[in-house]
Amino acid sequence: MENVLQGLMELVGARATMVLDGTGRVVAHLGHAVYDRGLCGQIGGTVTKAIETIQLQQEDWETITAQFADGRILLRGVAAPANGQRHVLAIVGDGTLNASFATVALRVAANKIRSALEGGTSQPPSAGSQALGSAVAKAPPPPTSSSVALDSRPVLANSGLSWSKGPNEGSSATGISNVAVADPASAALLQRCTKELARHVGPMAKVYVQEALRRISPDAPFSLQVARQLVDELSGQIEEPEERAQFRKAMLEKK
Amino acid sequence: MPDLAMIAQLADVKSAVLGNLTGGYHDAVREQDGETIAAVMGFVSSAMVHAGDQLGLGALHRISIVGEARGCLIVVQGDSVITARVEPGKSLAAVEKVLDTPVQGRA
Repeated sequence: MENVLQGLMELVGARATMVLDGTGRVVAHLGHAVYDRGLCGQIGGTVTKAIETIQLQQEDWETITAQFADGRILLRGVAAPANGQRHVLAIVGDGTLNASFATVALRVAANKIRSALEGGTSQPPSAGSQALGSAVAKAPPPPTSSSVALDSRPVLANSGLSWSKGPNEGSSATGISNVAVADPASAALLQRCTKELARHVGPMAKVYVQEALRRISPDAPFSLQVARQLVDELSGQIEEPEERAQFRKAMLEKK
Repeated sequence: MPDLAMIAQLADVKSAVLGNLTGGYHDAVREQDGETIAAVMGFVSSAMVHAGDQLGLGALHRISIVGEARGCLIVVQGDSVITARVEPGKSLAAVEKVLDTPVQGRA
């Protein structure tokens, strides 16, 4: 099963992929950095509630796509094995994930997952889940073009600041992609902060953000706890008082 | 941004319902059970908003539910939720494409 998930992770923009059982429990999982098993478990529960509700209106659903400002969640039902329950295959992707490609890849992967689940029906569901989960956790990272390791462990994350990288992604002179963040929400805020700052100072915004992070959070991943401090630091980079106020207002108001 | 009337007049859209993220019902076109649909899709949208928040994906724009015989498109605009029932399901992509064109006023 991990090979199937690794194949999905090779899609451009895929950040995490997982198999959920009928109760929303993560049966297998692969994800970049902060998309660890714990987070995917939380998402699994939320997504499963949504699916159960959708089934009140449309029991024959095949694919569900949720499109967000900065990414997508794609879900594909996996036909129930002979004496088992229905599973769901999910991909979490950023804004670069091609939904059409991902939908086709999901369809193919769902068939393979189904075969894998049918092969494991002799085990109780919980035992099967643990076995699959540990197997995936031990799986080596797939040969992706980026150097980001796939792992289930909570490790320092990519900041997601690669939003303005050009076609030569990976060769950013700023090295901003090495910034560590504590969780996806922190990454999203950092990305928003950089975009907002770029409105006022241009492409140097990423450099300013990186420098500010070194000052306010030198030894720990960036987290929302120091967000206000970051905004204060970055405000100093904007010369015009009016623009500075605009930046502060945009960053401090709830999105 | 598309509105209820505009979505309802698109080809293959059989009905459309306007509600909100708390499941409240506002209006419907060609749908008799609008209150139920508004409640169900309001809950679904709220759950997905929550999932997106946890994953740092930003604001939820749209949910597409595809089945063989029919599909469902949920458009979220702030607190408003518009649900369109599309038949057949394969027409959903065409409806989404129309909503994505600048002519329809999508940001």
